Amino acid sequence: MAGATDVALHAETLGKGYKLYDSPRARLKALLTGRTYHRSHWALAEVSFELHRGQCMGLIGDNGAGKSTLLKLVAGTLQPTTGRIERRGRVTAILELGAGFHPEFSGRDNLYFAGALIGIGERAMKALEASIIEFSELEHAIDRPVKTYSSGMVVRLAFALVTAIEPDVLIIDEALAVGDQHFQKKCVERIEAFRQRGCTILFCSHSLYHIRQLCDVALWLDGGRPRAFGPTERVLASYEAHVRAMDGASGLSAPKSTVDATVGQLVPADRRAGIHEVRVAGLEAAPPAGELPLLEAKDLVITVTAYVNADEQPSVGVMLEQLNGVGITSVTTHGDGAAPERLADGRWRATVTFPDLPLHTGDYVVSAYLFDSRGIVVYEEWQDCVRFKFVYPTMTPGLVRLPHAWT
Amino acid sequence: MRALYEDGGALLRARSLLWMMARREIAARNAGSAAGVVWAYLQPLLTVAAYYLVFDVVFAMRLGENAPTRAVGAFLIVGALPWMAFCDAVSRGMNSLIDSGGVLQKNPLPPALFPARAVLASMVIYLPLIALVTLAYFPMHHFSPALLALPLLFLAQLMLCMVLAYMLAILAAALRDVLQVVAFLLSVGIFLSPVLFPVTMFPEAWRWVLWLNPMSSLVMGYQAVLLGGNWPGAGVWGGIGVWLAASVVVLDRLVARSRETLVDWL
Repeated sequence: MAGATDVALHAETLGKGYKLYDSPRARLKALLTGRTYHRSHWALAEVSFELHRGQCMGLIGDNGAGKSTLLKLVAGTLQPTTGRIERRGRVTAILELGAGFHPEFSGRDNLYFAGALIGIGERAMKALEASIIEFSELEHAIDRPVKTYSSGMVVRLAFALVTAIEPDVLIIDEALAVGDQHFQKKCVERIEAFRQRGCTILFCSHSLYHIRQLCDVALWLDGGRPRAFGPTERVLASYEAHVRAMDGASGLSAPKSTVDATVGQLVPADRRAGIHEVRVAGLEAAPPAGELPLLEAKDLVITVTAYVNADEQPSVGVMLEQLNGVGITSVTTHGDGAAPERLADGRWRATVTFPDLPLHTGDYVVSAYLFDSRGIVVYEEWQDCVRFKFVYPTMTPGLVRLPHAWT
Repeated sequence: MRALYEDGGALLRARSLLWMMARREIAARNAGSAAGVVWAYLQPLLTVAAYYLVFDVVFAMRLGENAPTRAVGAFLIVGALPWMAFCDAVSRGMNSLIDSGGVLQKNPLPPALFPARAVLASMVIYLPLIALVTLAYFPMHHFSPALLALPLLFLAQLMLCMVLAYMLAILAAALRDVLQVVAFLLSVGIFLSPVLFPVTMFPEAWRWVLWLNPMSSLVMGYQAVLLGGNWPGAGVWGGIGVWLAASVVVLDRLVARSRETLVDWL
């Protein structure tokens, strides 16, 4: 589909080896004599990929898989030991926001200085200043020293600054958790707008939901080496299988014997933003000790109540899994063209019904999600909020009763 | 020499950024104080004034027969000011990489920028002070044409400081103990220099020790120009040249060996 001319990012057998010295003394000795006193540790090896203009690549992997190292190599803050990387155009990295700010200087002063570090000269900054301050919503505080800012304010200013000039390649490391819900949404919208105008994005996150939403391709790193690269869904599927196998091996989600919550409720229904309550109708009121409540109704009816700060309609999602972590289905209001209803107290409520629950006997887990209206920003995810047992009287094994016909 | 050549090119390309960083460094050093940047100039100025008051006004001490000038204070100031500039530039430059680890890890910038910025910021402060002293010493040099050597000496000192600061910054990144050792050397270095006593007062057998101090030849150069209006001799230029060349060679090696891993050490 795309010619070689619009390659925005090209990595070839990229590798980064760290030299490990037994002591700093050995480091100095190596520096002075030029001899070798180190063991090599390869944080990243044999990574090759090519991204075209407008493509978005998700980067997944366990901790220590080399994700951050790859991001830093692409950003240029680390030098590769082997291979090479070609970048076309302006590269902007949202790695750790606000690192270059000086606490004693005002926000405005810091803009000029931190701007110079990322290649925005004084004259360009004069032109951009107003729009940056407006985006960061810090008009009232911009001439105060940065040391008086809250951490959220620092991050807002930094995000507004680094994204002030539209990049050709954007590198994001888990940075979507920027400030409050309202600002988070603004950030995601800005990134989304870049992408639509053809910006290439390299995105690293532990949130597989975000990777699914944003990325066309995904790269799974395992122990510094690429394990899978290709269309997002395919890579994520094998990654999820891997995570499940690991959890299984370490007994992470072994069924807990005493869970008696039939209703997940986080806090009293105050104005706290997020999911307030997840209720499953028709559960056995007093299950025998050590057992999950039985779903006595034929239909599975889940009601989610949530509150969002912004005066906008959120979207609600519900996921149903087996207790051992095998996903069965997930549904969202935005995905189904439905919408939560507004309650008198300002909260939002959505109810989903799975009629004649087509499952076999087993233990099941409900998780709930709260999104912005388009499902891009995850305001909150509440894993494992309600557990229940379901009994379907049949002798035949299986998980789901699929619609079927004999002919 | 390739490693150093690349760094030099990077510095040249980023010169406007370098200048901005130097200006900001000066502002940052005194941020939050009422007098602000004035302190940066006031500290060395007051030290120099104290030398003059103590040695020339209160005690009126005199140097021996062979000295280039009779007044101890006047002699001391000419050497002490460049020496203070050297110590300030080298110690700040040495710490610059470690202090800027966070910035370097997040932004793709050439590491050489940071020691260069620290040295430049120091020199910006000491240049006007040396110019001021030059004016005040009019009765000794009578604006002789030898004053033309001053910009050369200052430039040589700037180069020497940049090279040594970058070198020590890399070594300090590898091993933090370097900071302590160098801090000690800088504090005793003044005794291994012709700042306090003219070379002629050093015992003949020990004079070679002076050449271990990179600032000795420069100090002698300043003294020749400011105290006598004489063009510095070949020994002065030779000493400067040897120190510069040697440290450039060492620095090039260090840069080439540490290029890939330097940022990881910060």
